[in-house]
Amino acid sequence: MREGGDALVLLLAGGIGSRLNLLVGHRAKPAVPFGGIYRIIDFSLSNVMNSGLTRVGVLTQYKPLSLMAHIGNGEAWDFTGRTRGIKILPPRTGEQDSDWYKGTADAIRQNIDFILANPSEQVVILSGDHIYHMDFDAMLSYHQYKKADITIGMMVVPKRDIHQFGAGIVNTENRIIDWEEKPAVPRTNLASMGIYVFDTKYLLRTLGHDRREADFGMHILPRAINEDRVYAYPFYGYWRDVGTIQAYWETNMDIIRENSGISPEKWGIRPNPECGHRSMDRAPANFQTGCQVTSSMISSGCIIEGTVINSVLSPGVRVKKGAVVTNSVLFDDTLIEENAVVDLAICDKGVHIGTGTVVGYGENMILPNKKFPKHLYTGISLIGKEATIPAGVRIGRNCIVNFGYNDDTFNGQSFLADGESA
Amino acid sequence: MILAGGRVDELGVLTHYRPKSAVPFGGFARVIDFPLSNLLHSGIERIAILSQYRSYSLINHIGTGAAWDMIGRNRGISILPPFKDYENPHWYRGSADAVYQNLDYIRYYGPSVILILSGDHIYQMDYREMIRYHNEHDVDLTAAFIEVPLESASRFGVAEIAVGDSDGGRMLSYEEKPASPKSKWASLTVFCFRPSVLSEVLKKNQEDHSYEFGRDIIPMMMRENYKVHGYKFRGYWGYTKTIDEYWQTSMDLLGPEPKIDMEAWGIRTNLAHRSIADRQPIKIGADGNIQNSMAYNGCIIEGTVRNSILFPGVHVMAGAEINDSILFFDNIVHQGVRLNRVVSDVNTVFNKDVRVGAPQCDKLNRVSVIGWNNSIPEGFSIGCGCTVAPRIPAEKWPERHLEDGEELK
Repeated sequence: MREGGDALVLLLAGGIGSRLNLLVGHRAKPAVPFGGIYRIIDFSLSNVMNSGLTRVGVLTQYKPLSLMAHIGNGEAWDFTGRTRGIKILPPRTGEQDSDWYKGTADAIRQNIDFILANPSEQVVILSGDHIYHMDFDAMLSYHQYKKADITIGMMVVPKRDIHQFGAGIVNTENRIIDWEEKPAVPRTNLASMGIYVFDTKYLLRTLGHDRREADFGMHILPRAINEDRVYAYPFYGYWRDVGTIQAYWETNMDIIRENSGISPEKWGIRPNPECGHRSMDRAPANFQTGCQVTSSMISSGCIIEGTVINSVLSPGVRVKKGAVVTNSVLFDDTLIEENAVVDLAICDKGVHIGTGTVVGYGENMILPNKKFPKHLYTGISLIGKEATIPAGVRIGRNCIVNFGYNDDTFNGQSFLADGESA
Repeated sequence: MILAGGRVDELGVLTHYRPKSAVPFGGFARVIDFPLSNLLHSGIERIAILSQYRSYSLINHIGTGAAWDMIGRNRGISILPPFKDYENPHWYRGSADAVYQNLDYIRYYGPSVILILSGDHIYQMDYREMIRYHNEHDVDLTAAFIEVPLESASRFGVAEIAVGDSDGGRMLSYEEKPASPKSKWASLTVFCFRPSVLSEVLKKNQEDHSYEFGRDIIPMMMRENYKVHGYKFRGYWGYTKTIDEYWQTSMDLLGPEPKIDMEAWGIRTNLAHRSIADRQPIKIGADGNIQNSMAYNGCIIEGTVRNSILFPGVHVMAGAEINDSILFFDNIVHQGVRLNRVVSDVNTVFNKDVRVGAPQCDKLNRVSVIGWNNSIPEGFSIGCGCTVAPRIPAEKWPERHLEDGEELK
């Protein structure tokens, strides 16, 4: 039962998330597959559903097709009904502006008509990029109790990480009295999760203040803290920004680690079973005699003859006899041929690894990828969507094989050295 | 028209609270998903399900019919429960009576052919081929048959089929469950009728005292010289009339080249039923060991599983060992449990050190079956070929173990 009323939800799902490299080559970051059967945005959408909220606008911008297909009519998250709904809000050409969204606040400002068309007391603004479990209804009650203009979801992070976040300094009543956006020198360890509750009237007023204020963290919040009632809503649970390959991999691994605090089914996270290749219509996973599977997540439709350790497999992955998959994340319908070895890799959908091929060869984890040294530097190799790697090839660490790669001769080579790209 | 009313006594505790067609099968599906998926792939889109026995599980399972794409302007699944009205004071008195009572449903849609199926069998069939045969030979009734070993034929309707073309021929004789069968061709309970003839013979049958397609309608049509053909089906057909057969047919799902290939057959089920779609992928623990088995999303496997089928939500804890068993939705298997040849219905808990079945057992019917919502007390031991009724209260569990073949009600 809802305590905090039926707030309107606006979900910011437009980010490019370019540090996810090939994984966002064909899709927006919120649409990146995660945890076997989910997409990143399922966590936010399910949190909205489980909080009892029923009206959602999804602000898209970058490569939205995969995301739009995934959301569909919203039935998977119970957003269909006479007074319920989920709407995709792409940037549009208006009378005066024909602009793309210039920032978070600008994106909301360009959809004021949607806010007005869906009357509400509060607006909840979320990002579609995070893996977490949160009750927005409790946050709304808190917001109302504090008689706040803005309430910001915040959590304690290690001080060395604070430079990635908006940081808030609070008084004893959790009122935010100072704000620093991505501070180089931390004064606090309380970080913004990018989750805001605004009083609707206040939101409309503050967005009308100055059209050049494009970003909440940079422009709107610092001004609000001086003039208005801004509160921190402390959050203590599991929350990850999976914006980098390393964080994305670690968070996947957290699902299979005991007591890591992440548990999609217990959290009530719902994927969309009707989307794409309807992964759940696939038969149960099939474990053949002689297979070895430990510390892993295996989805329906997988057929396992070989060895899978410490890995997350999406639906329809096939691991043939003698193949060994370790510490990896394999998306839908990856095919690992006999005696292939895959270690510390992320394989996008439909990747085909040839017989006896090794992905993740050698132990040199520290030589970063030459083209993208800031994306791949911990040993993880990335194989793009529908890439085919022929038999008998050795691929090193921090390597990238581009999506659709399909060269039978592998460029005349039999190996891809650490940090190289194909 | 799908005949899905029956409960089939021999399946015992699995059909105490559901008709046989709603019995779980194949690690995530129900028996009726097989004919429904066959219909989907055959492009037959107007379906009625005749259901009488404990319909709720079935109604819940069918839902809107969207799982089989049967929802749309010209598509749909209707469930036709028995009813009473001015003329008709009784329930469905048999399969033929059930269809008779719904003749106005058929009249409303005015089909050119009526297909009557049983909802109880595991098979893959393209009904279009049979309908094509039916139309080409301009037949009043085409019934599908499969070749079975002569010694088991007496459990089915058996026909002698004249040598026609390779697909079938005129039916020369038909006997329902004959003591000494004259042929190996056993009825699949898949009938293709000319609508005018169907309504004619069903009306005639009302004067009778028995109302079954196999026992009454086909013999009557043979007597009265209707044009009746047998259609020879050569695919896989799994029947599940007894617990041991249910177990045996389930084992056909396993192995490197399973006889029942659900992926290739395109079996669909209703993912909303028992929240299948809301389950996370299978979680396999550091000491998990799973061999020659099948499991669906929502399972947690920390123990050992061999030659078994686990439905969504089964949790096998570390130190448990499951062999040759089929565990329905949400069974919980605690540490130290040993299961051998068990079929266990939904929501059953095997507490610590429970034993059911034995690796070796010389009984003929050696599968033990546990009804739903049981909590088997810690350390309790159940022999092979045993039956435990659903929901046995804690105080009713005996002090001692259950001997081979014993039943607990």
